[in-house]
Amino acid sequence: MSKKELLDGNQAAAWAVKLANVQSFPCFPITPQTEIIETIAKWKADGKLKNLVFNELESEHSVISAALGSQMTGARTFTATSSQGIMLMHEILPIISGTRMPLVMVNVSRALSAPITLWPDHNDFLAMRDAGWIMFCCETNQEVLDTIIMAYKIAENKKVMLPVLINMDGFIHSYTRTEVEIPDQKKVSKFLMKTKQKNRLDVKKPMTLGGAVLEEEYIKYRSQLHSAHLEAINVIKNVQKKWKDKFKRRYYVVEEYGMKNAKAALVIMGSYSTIAKSAVDNLKSKGINVGIVRLRLIRPFPSDEIRSALGHVNEIGVFDQNLSPGLGGILYSEVKACLKKNKNVSSFIGGLGGKPVSEKDFEEIFKTLLREKKEMRKWVM
Amino acid sequence: MIEIRIHGRGGQGGKKAAQIISRAAHYSGYNVQDFAMYGAERKGAPVKSFVRFSKTPIKTRGYIFEPDCIIILDESIGVNKCIKGKKEHTKIIINSKKPYKNIKNSCSVNAIEIAMKYTKKAICNVAILGAWAKLFKKIPLKNIEKAVYEEFKEKLTKDMISKNIKAMKEVYDNVA
Repeated sequence: MSKKELLDGNQAAAWAVKLANVQSFPCFPITPQTEIIETIAKWKADGKLKNLVFNELESEHSVISAALGSQMTGARTFTATSSQGIMLMHEILPIISGTRMPLVMVNVSRALSAPITLWPDHNDFLAMRDAGWIMFCCETNQEVLDTIIMAYKIAENKKVMLPVLINMDGFIHSYTRTEVEIPDQKKVSKFLMKTKQKNRLDVKKPMTLGGAVLEEEYIKYRSQLHSAHLEAINVIKNVQKKWKDKFKRRYYVVEEYGMKNAKAALVIMGSYSTIAKSAVDNLKSKGINVGIVRLRLIRPFPSDEIRSALGHVNEIGVFDQNLSPGLGGILYSEVKACLKKNKNVSSFIGGLGGKPVSEKDFEEIFKTLLREKKEMRKWVM
Repeated sequence: MIEIRIHGRGGQGGKKAAQIISRAAHYSGYNVQDFAMYGAERKGAPVKSFVRFSKTPIKTRGYIFEPDCIIILDESIGVNKCIKGKKEHTKIIINSKKPYKNIKNSCSVNAIEIAMKYTKKAICNVAILGAWAKLFKKIPLKNIEKAVYEEFKEKLTKDMISKNIKAMKEVYDNVA
């Protein structure tokens, strides 16, 4: 039977690991991710995770290397990190996607140093957007739990065979308890039937993974990786639909909120989107029709879905809780590139290092879009 | 939506108090959010914790700047600092021997002394919830009791939990 519990985002992630029957969990603690490790370690010590190999290592570089190694044996593997931790992992990340390992990792977003801080923004998560991983950015603790389980189904699909990174926001998700429905173990096990990984290291059937290639070959592998990403988007939609059928919660790669006849729209990702949705509700009650397009899937980049969601809107804002210094918002440049030239697409950068952005701030963004009717680049601070 | 902010010092159980309120609200059919300030928390340092509950889904996030209720576990932090952002109707519950007559809607209760009487420990995070239950009336006392058991089941003995609950009930009865 499924049950409702009060869980913070870290505990929700730990529950997903348990439900997904993960076999290997190499880990290294970093705030605000540590509680995922603590929760799983306690369950392991209490004998509740008999099939899980729990390995605390000496750095994130070792962790991700061990995760690659264990996934290469075909064991279902999970790990989690944050901020500087994911930066230290970076060398290994493209090896995991390049060897097509269906590893799943959670990033609990925390702004990058320096100056050092503990609060979230998305620069750690988005720093790996070219690493070849499928990337989801979650809005609620429930979505974190559900997405981790779905991620294994997506990653292990033979047409995909790609690692998946799932982002939750530090503090706003990781340390905030809300109601989370914990699905029934039997139903999850049935949903996530494990098949034997073909590209695995087996002494009885030796093979080389990630070997050296010459200049004629390399580009072919990269093109295959890109094709797998493009193929993945249909698999992701399919898995999300199956999840709805089995567990009654519907997820979209691009979520539209209040977009019907909207005169202006804001593109956003992560936990702050609920605050923006609240601003949309407030404005609609005053007769101002605006909407939200929330990006849940970041890689593969859902260009078609974004175009379709924003097709009828001309005044568009993109809220970036990240900064590519010298360029601006990362999502802004990606969203703008996939839209027709006749639209006004404006950039709003805010929430860096967890700076609160209020409903009023979001209302002001919408009002500015409707009033100015031109392209702008603004900071919310 | 009801928003509550709890002020205390690290080690006084403010975070646990927030978790108890939110669990009790959860048992009473509300959507909830609870969390604590993070970054410089350590024993003795001023810390804050937060609870939101609502019959409709909660979309707001992060710190609470204009609470409907403020609970102060330790007045030595400075009551005036703690009541920042109070609204016209905001109720303020202070663990103190002395009444704060100049602060509108404030209620002083000697929770620490009552907690000491039962538990022999100078921690009143559960006891003071009796005052909150009496003043707010949104959450039945029995749900708070159930939440105290659930939140402490891995930390305290049954005996210690029931002593805390007795203290909470005495505070409840003491508040007009």
